[in-house]
Amino acid sequence: MTRALLSRLGQMVLVLFGISVLIFAVFFATPGSDPSARIAGRGASQEVLARVRADYGFDRPLPVQYVRMMEKLFVTRDLTSFVDHGERVVPEVLEAAPVTLSLVLFASVFWLLLSLGIGIVSAMLRDTWADRALMGLSLLALSMPVFWLGEMVNLVTQSRWHDAWAFSWVPPLGYTPFARSPKGWALGLLLPAFTLAVAFIGLYARVLRAELLQAMGDDAIRTARAKGAGPARLWLWHGLRLSWLSYVSLFGLDFAQLVGGGALLVEVVFALPGVGHLTYQGLNTLDLPLIMATVMYAAVFVVLANAAIDGLYALLDPRIREARRGL
Amino acid sequence: MSCRKGGYFLPARLWYDPALLQAHSGEESIRGLPAVRRGLSRFRAVLVLGPLCCCIPVRAEDSLPAAHRGGTLHLAAVGSGGTLDPQINYTAEYINLFVTIYDGLTGFRKARGPAGDTVMPDLAEAIPAPQDGGRTYVFTLRDGIRFSDGRKVTVEDVAASFRRLFRVGSPTAGAFYGDIAGAKACLADPAHCTLAEGVSPDPVHRTVTFHLTAPDTEFMMKLAFTHASILPADTPDHDTGNNPVPGTGPYHIVSYNPEGGIVAERNPYFHVWNAEVQPPGYVDRIEYRFGLTDEAAVTAIENGQTDWIYDPIPLDRLGELGARFTSQTHIEPHLTIYFAPMNVHIPPFDSEKARQAVDYAINRHAMTILYGGPAIAQPLCSLVPPELTGRMAGCPYTKGADFAHPAPEWKAPDLERARELVRESGTAGQKVTLVVANRSVDRAMGNELRDTLDAIGYHADLKPLAPALMFDYIQNSNNHVQIAIKDWSSDFPSASNFLDGLFGCENFHPGSNSSVNISGFCDGEVQALIDRAKTDVTLTDAQRADLWAQVDALLARHAPGAPIIHKYDVTFVSKRLGNFFYTHNFGLFFSQVWVR
Repeated sequence: MTRALLSRLGQMVLVLFGISVLIFAVFFATPGSDPSARIAGRGASQEVLARVRADYGFDRPLPVQYVRMMEKLFVTRDLTSFVDHGERVVPEVLEAAPVTLSLVLFASVFWLLLSLGIGIVSAMLRDTWADRALMGLSLLALSMPVFWLGEMVNLVTQSRWHDAWAFSWVPPLGYTPFARSPKGWALGLLLPAFTLAVAFIGLYARVLRAELLQAMGDDAIRTARAKGAGPARLWLWHGLRLSWLSYVSLFGLDFAQLVGGGALLVEVVFALPGVGHLTYQGLNTLDLPLIMATVMYAAVFVVLANAAIDGLYALLDPRIREARRGL
Repeated sequence: MSCRKGGYFLPARLWYDPALLQAHSGEESIRGLPAVRRGLSRFRAVLVLGPLCCCIPVRAEDSLPAAHRGGTLHLAAVGSGGTLDPQINYTAEYINLFVTIYDGLTGFRKARGPAGDTVMPDLAEAIPAPQDGGRTYVFTLRDGIRFSDGRKVTVEDVAASFRRLFRVGSPTAGAFYGDIAGAKACLADPAHCTLAEGVSPDPVHRTVTFHLTAPDTEFMMKLAFTHASILPADTPDHDTGNNPVPGTGPYHIVSYNPEGGIVAERNPYFHVWNAEVQPPGYVDRIEYRFGLTDEAAVTAIENGQTDWIYDPIPLDRLGELGARFTSQTHIEPHLTIYFAPMNVHIPPFDSEKARQAVDYAINRHAMTILYGGPAIAQPLCSLVPPELTGRMAGCPYTKGADFAHPAPEWKAPDLERARELVRESGTAGQKVTLVVANRSVDRAMGNELRDTLDAIGYHADLKPLAPALMFDYIQNSNNHVQIAIKDWSSDFPSASNFLDGLFGCENFHPGSNSSVNISGFCDGEVQALIDRAKTDVTLTDAQRADLWAQVDALLARHAPGAPIIHKYDVTFVSKRLGNFFYTHNFGLFFSQVWVR
């Protein structure tokens, strides 16, 4: 157990090191990226510019700058933004995380329930018109760019039919913390979460249908059928257990990358101040500390989520558990 | 005449302030509604009541019509504007808010149109007469001013504020205040800056004396700029970042989160010292929210959820606003130009003829259309926007015109003349890379100019760069940028912001990202005229304007930068926002609009 944990930790450090070096190198290799003049302000005198460069350490060799930045990010945790000079990026990211987590949790409810329903119904009604219609809809959902869908949702609910009875309940764009108003929190997240979930519903429904159909040809299913298991038990118990693995691993990775900032487009379109929105802002203003902090946060999350999925595998499939024990 | 009681002070002038009349009637004239009479009758009522009320103890804001006082003004911006330090922040986004929070010794008159370009005394009792040939100014600080934390403003605070400009490394410390005696030493060694020889406070007489090393005809305007705000002497000598500094304006910041927004409330210690510069505010609270996209903010204004957006209105929404929200949409002159700086040190634009060819060839009509149409932009022949004095008359670079026979206005590009000049310059066939910001409008204008450059004999490429990078990149001569398209706005209403700022020798710093003379142009004759316009305090305003016009004409001849268009500001406000009050320098003036 300890060995496995250490191995995971080692992997995480390697991933973080690789990504941070890459971001740092790309930033400083970009022409005109020296942030001194932007920090100093338009038309700043050369003396002021030199002072900013010295204060921020931009006159030092790049490896030294890298180490200082990592120290401020991970050890002293007082790395401040190049744009909002007094803003510490670590607390900034931590404050944004609950927004993203709320959005993704909300979305995952939609995407798990609907994709399970559609996937199972489609598989059970294989090659019927209903199956074709559901798979067609899934493909459509999968093909719609999420930012376009978000803008369309806003166009209908915030602009064109905002005052119509059907959408008069839709609150203004933005985020209401759960502690302030649970109702406001839920209403504000409903449409963004559904928008985010649409593509995943399509993808997961198609994956689940394919896995289920493949599982139905398995020996275990034939045995269960021979033992007299009914269709419901056959599909929902035996079939689902055999098709879980790819579905769960896919879910784990997607969930992690969304919580890590992958919901960027939805957050921007719906003005949700989450981690993705921060990343977008950092990229727009070329704010290296903010970019570094959000990407590091995402990387940590994805590595941890991978570890969690591996653990879940063992729980779901005895064969993996036994293989790990060397049986 | 004024009345004072219970610590509240109100100049009687406020009651028949012409700006207030303009505030009422101007709104109607903009919207074209037949309600001018209403505005006038309001004014008359105020005029009649004024003398009666003036001896009643009143709070500053009580002087405003009660029906419109109160409420919360909701502002929006896509992102925050950075630090709250008023001596460091250089974004219009915050400067336009800071004018309701901070004051300088002088300030711009808050009036619509060119009337707003006048400098008046703010925390100083009067604008002092120049002494010693314009090298010495003695200001008397008004008595009884308090910061928003209740502390009294002293002449020591004034001296410390100017010292702090250098200690914190304000971006304008060198450019605006570098002529104060001792400034050079402060720039070189900010930690030991005293500025003692340049700014001398006299607590007994409440005076502050400024000594300049050279006369500066624009010193009063520079003192009115936000960076010269008067702050408490104990304000830390570093960027205050997210922490607001107390000020003397009608509002003070009570909370700030760069990811969320700013909340400003009434300053309990605010007094009206000069109602034409810093009038009391109508709304009780200002909430500035960040995070909405420009599209979403426009929709929020349509829905009445937000009152105003800082960012430009997306072009695809202009038609909708013009058709359905006409009375809420305002088009106002803005002191901003688009121009094409050309590097005079590298081929092909080290040739004057090549630069003139570009000036002849630019299709300013097409550029106007690409920017959004003639309602919000116009072709530009001079490097100075038309709202300012000090620009040359006529248009030399248009079809059928030249320097000897300038046309009254731009008509059409003269490609034939441009091709001829390119041939004469010997630069035909050379490769040219045009750098633009990677924004839809700039890219479209860049494509148009690239095609034009191709059409007159060059092989042109377009290089769009991230907007956050582009300006730094084109300034640095090490990047060998040949030509670019850039917008440029003034800090204060003077032709110098465009002519000296962009083409003055002192603003070219080879190899630096902070070198706003992007072309690298430096000409002795032009500089001599610039220096005279900037330093000769014996000149009248008209004579100075004439000098700047000569500079403008000479720059047109040398063509280090080709003017393209000047633009108007499209402001969209909510239905509930009243008394739309727009100034040249600060856009929508938040303290003078009401929401009730």
